[in-house]
Amino acid sequence: MDLTEIKISNLRSMLDKKEISARELTDVYLDRIKAVDDRLESFMTVTAEIAEKSAERAQKMIDNGESAALCGIPLAIKDNICTDGVKTTCSSKMLEDFVPFYNATVMDKLENEGAVMLGKTSMDEFAMGGSTQTSAFKKTKNPYDLERVPGGSSGGSAAAVSASLCAAALGSDTGGSIRQPSAFCGVTGLKPTYGRVSRYGLVAFASSLDQIGPIAKSAEDCAILLNTIAGYDPHDGTSSKKNVPDFTSMIGQSVKGMKIAVPKEFYAEGIDDEVRNAVLKAADCYRSLGAELVECSMPSLKYAVAAYYLISSAEASSNLSRFDGIKFGHRSQKGESFAELILNSRSEGFGEEVKRRIMLGNCALSSGYYDAYYGKALAVKQKICEEYDSIFAKCDVILTPTAPTVAYGVNENISDTAKMYRADFCTVTVNIASLPAISTTCGYDSEGMPIGMSIVGRKWDETTIIQAADAFEREFIRHNASL
Amino acid sequence: MDREMVRNLAQLSRLSFTDEELEKMADDMTGIIEIIDTIKEVDVTYDPFKEDHNVYLNDLRKDITADSCPTAKILQNAVNSEDAFVVPKVVE
Repeated sequence: MDLTEIKISNLRSMLDKKEISARELTDVYLDRIKAVDDRLESFMTVTAEIAEKSAERAQKMIDNGESAALCGIPLAIKDNICTDGVKTTCSSKMLEDFVPFYNATVMDKLENEGAVMLGKTSMDEFAMGGSTQTSAFKKTKNPYDLERVPGGSSGGSAAAVSASLCAAALGSDTGGSIRQPSAFCGVTGLKPTYGRVSRYGLVAFASSLDQIGPIAKSAEDCAILLNTIAGYDPHDGTSSKKNVPDFTSMIGQSVKGMKIAVPKEFYAEGIDDEVRNAVLKAADCYRSLGAELVECSMPSLKYAVAAYYLISSAEASSNLSRFDGIKFGHRSQKGESFAELILNSRSEGFGEEVKRRIMLGNCALSSGYYDAYYGKALAVKQKICEEYDSIFAKCDVILTPTAPTVAYGVNENISDTAKMYRADFCTVTVNIASLPAISTTCGYDSEGMPIGMSIVGRKWDETTIIQAADAFEREFIRHNASL
Repeated sequence: MDREMVRNLAQLSRLSFTDEELEKMADDMTGIIEIIDTIKEVDVTYDPFKEDHNVYLNDLRKDITADSCPTAKILQNAVNSEDAFVVPKVVE
């Protein structure tokens, strides 16, 4: 029996029944990381010693009958989530040696339950990108084809889950960074409602859009992780005091009578035929399960990428101004004056894509452009929210492709920035409207690469999208990655 | 985007570029501006009263003094620290 293929819900009962020990489970994953991650490059840092100690602690909790949902479960953590005493680089030279002295709130929550951290996963630098190729260090590959990208920015987390290097992982999603790599790597990824999960200790990219969420082998496993990480945090003023439901409560429930919206703009030009067909086939599957499909429209979708890049870059340019080479982060050896030191530290520490976003953000906010760009982007945001509201007045969830294509080659598209940005149109409106969405695999293209579909829910209604994704996963047979 | 504009944005961004990097940045920015310029054609107006920031101003946490971070820990990620952040001379 290969333990790395088993889902969290089953691992839980195996651990609690003492069929396996927490240490045994952790070692199986550490061995697999050692065996394949040289080729996959999904981990920035492997924390083997910490993992083994956590496993021992988890075992004691289990032995004392104090086991919680994630006790002894080995997880990977995206490298923009602060971990006390463990390097948190954001895959940037700027933070190459940065060691936080506190945990992100989600890490405290995982530790309280006795979860085991295997290490920190690679990502696009500061979460800016959709390929993990803007990482200054590990340019992660796709476990289905090592010549292709894993998607991004949480590409390390998605690839590690897909290649069974961890039971599940945490990622972060600002414009699709959990869902798109999950689609490319053939796994399930959930972006919670904005405010559902504390952002305290998540290195900020665009504060009004960022959310931490789970990447796992199934919707049920995502729900189990979300149960642990969700909830109000006094350290994050935007986290919600709303009651946190049991996100697994609708697992295994029928979707009969569920109204699923299919907005035509998401299936139009720009979507590969194989992707479109696979998602529409999934829609048929839902219909055969008793759900009702509802055609609808989101006219503002064509402005979504523009609005997203304006808002996210404006916020990024402000958030990243903290990197001055003085308090933490890369400090240049050159520069006689205070101003030169800051200029050189930033120019040496940031990669090309990060610099582009900072430049774009400053353009959006600069005098003479503010109203035409940033102000207009906020207006489009409100329009997109209204359009979602009118769809959700008639439907329970929305079904769209997660990305217009399957994973592409490691050297394709990377130099065409505008093309890369346009490819985000399937995912960005969800962040703009603060909604929850889950991506799961709905097919494979002619070359065997996974195709992802997204189910978008009403604000605070993660339970229903988890139910819908789970219902499909029970009907669908996944192919394992070749690695 | 013209080179002068890119130079101006670089200055606002506290970033420096070689001539070659500046050329490439100008080309990239031109492609990006083409995308974001599409937003100019939409006829919508921002309504500040409809904004939902998720922050409820009458429900903020109490302003109570809590433990602060120890200075030594704050300085552990700074280079050249001697119980303080060391910077080049600012005042002549």
